[in-house]
Amino acid sequence: MKKILVLVMSLFSVQAFAIDDPNALIRELNKRFSQVNDYTAHVRMTFDIPGVKMNTMNGKVFFKRPDRFRIRTKGIFFLPKQNPLQNMSAMLLDTSSYTSVMSGYEVVKGKKCAIVNIIPLKNVNDLILGKFWIDIKNPLVLKTQITTKNNGTIETENVYVANSTFTLPDQIIIKLETKKIKISKMLAADLNKKSKDTSKDNKLETGTIVLSFSDYKINTKFADSELEKTEE
Amino acid sequence: MKEFFAILKNELIKTIRRPRSYIGFAVISFICLMLQGAFYQDGRELLTTVTAQFDNIFNVQGNILNGNLICFIVLQTLIVQMPLLVAFVTGDQISGETASGSIRFLLTTPASRTKIVVAKWLSGLVYTLLLLLVLGIFALFVSRAIFGVGDLMAMNSEGLTIIRADDINWRWGYAFLIAFLSLSVVASLSTMLSCIMDNSITPIVTVMATIIIFTIIGMFDMKSFDVIKPFLFTTHMISWRSLFEDPLPVHDILTSCAILFLHVVIFLGVAIFYFKRKDITN
Repeated sequence: MKKILVLVMSLFSVQAFAIDDPNALIRELNKRFSQVNDYTAHVRMTFDIPGVKMNTMNGKVFFKRPDRFRIRTKGIFFLPKQNPLQNMSAMLLDTSSYTSVMSGYEVVKGKKCAIVNIIPLKNVNDLILGKFWIDIKNPLVLKTQITTKNNGTIETENVYVANSTFTLPDQIIIKLETKKIKISKMLAADLNKKSKDTSKDNKLETGTIVLSFSDYKINTKFADSELEKTEE
Repeated sequence: MKEFFAILKNELIKTIRRPRSYIGFAVISFICLMLQGAFYQDGRELLTTVTAQFDNIFNVQGNILNGNLICFIVLQTLIVQMPLLVAFVTGDQISGETASGSIRFLLTTPASRTKIVVAKWLSGLVYTLLLLLVLGIFALFVSRAIFGVGDLMAMNSEGLTIIRADDINWRWGYAFLIAFLSLSVVASLSTMLSCIMDNSITPIVTVMATIIIFTIIGMFDMKSFDVIKPFLFTTHMISWRSLFEDPLPVHDILTSCAILFLHVVIFLGVAIFYFKRKDITN
């Protein structure tokens, strides 16, 4: 009985430490992700960008540590300049480049998350602040908010199903603020269309890109040349 | 019917033999090759004027500068100029012969005046179709050979529409059909004016002036112009662009096609009506 009590108390103390210490959560995350040297997966991309009409498209994702990332597909598609897939892991892995601060707790999709702020120590990668909502029971990044100097703020929501042990999401919903893309009437040679009130178009609108992953192949090793090609 | 085909054949031979008929083909191939050369050299730089506004937020992946985009740009550039080339040949088909007096010989044949007008109008349509075929070959196939095939980033005043490469060929097919219908309106207008007027230059100039005036009216967003815009055939002539929108505005496209077709019927009807009653005094 005494042994069980000690075990329960020690487990509780570990959990409490993890909750209070952002570095412990990040360490756990990095431990999981460090199992992944490379992966490939099928990706289905859905776009809802103000001023851009684009159908859903399929492609293949290639990733190699630490941050080499490519999506190969046929055709034109838009990805955020600050690619969250590329940046999130690379950003957290280099623990010497930032300081982490816990700023509270929030429930995301029914899971209690610690909000960990990442403040860069060096002025690299344009990053001002990275905010990560990390599940405290099962350390996974459920939500991020990356603020950069030049590219604004990008939010992501991550859904984990099959590969949570490797911290690989099955779906990422990327939200970013952008002005509606507009083409001048003369450049578009759209002579008969009526010009709209452009004052409203200058307002920032939220664009959404949903990346749904399937058929992950982890640590199977692939040629570097796959990362060089951007389209088929 | 035999006389009709004889006149039609004769009109086609006349069109082939006239040096001015080849100006249109030369102009189209020259403009296409010139634009393709310019895009090959400076196309990416030009596209930055479009991509610059989201360059700090998005990375655009894929080959934007491809044959489909070049064809789209060439077509929207030439669709304003092509009516002038059509009018140049079809505008004096009847008035030119009236001025020279050769129409008298034509009228001595057993064919009715209606058949003569329709045969001349049809030969004008054949010429228009050939012009479009040359445009299609140069703008679409040559561009694809130079720049490759890829998704089309169609630009319109609403923004960008990405049309996937495997969903584009049928759109081009219909776009060229609508372009043909649009140019048929011009050919019909030319034929009508050619029946009404007695010298060869005036119908050509009148058609050109009409298109220029209508196009200018279409360019300006003014309330007074908005009332008359739906009635101008030039408003509907660029409805081919709607085929590159998503979702497809089927109703708008069909309405424009119906209006263009109605113009053809009215212009041809007036041409036949006027020519049947025309007193040839030259």
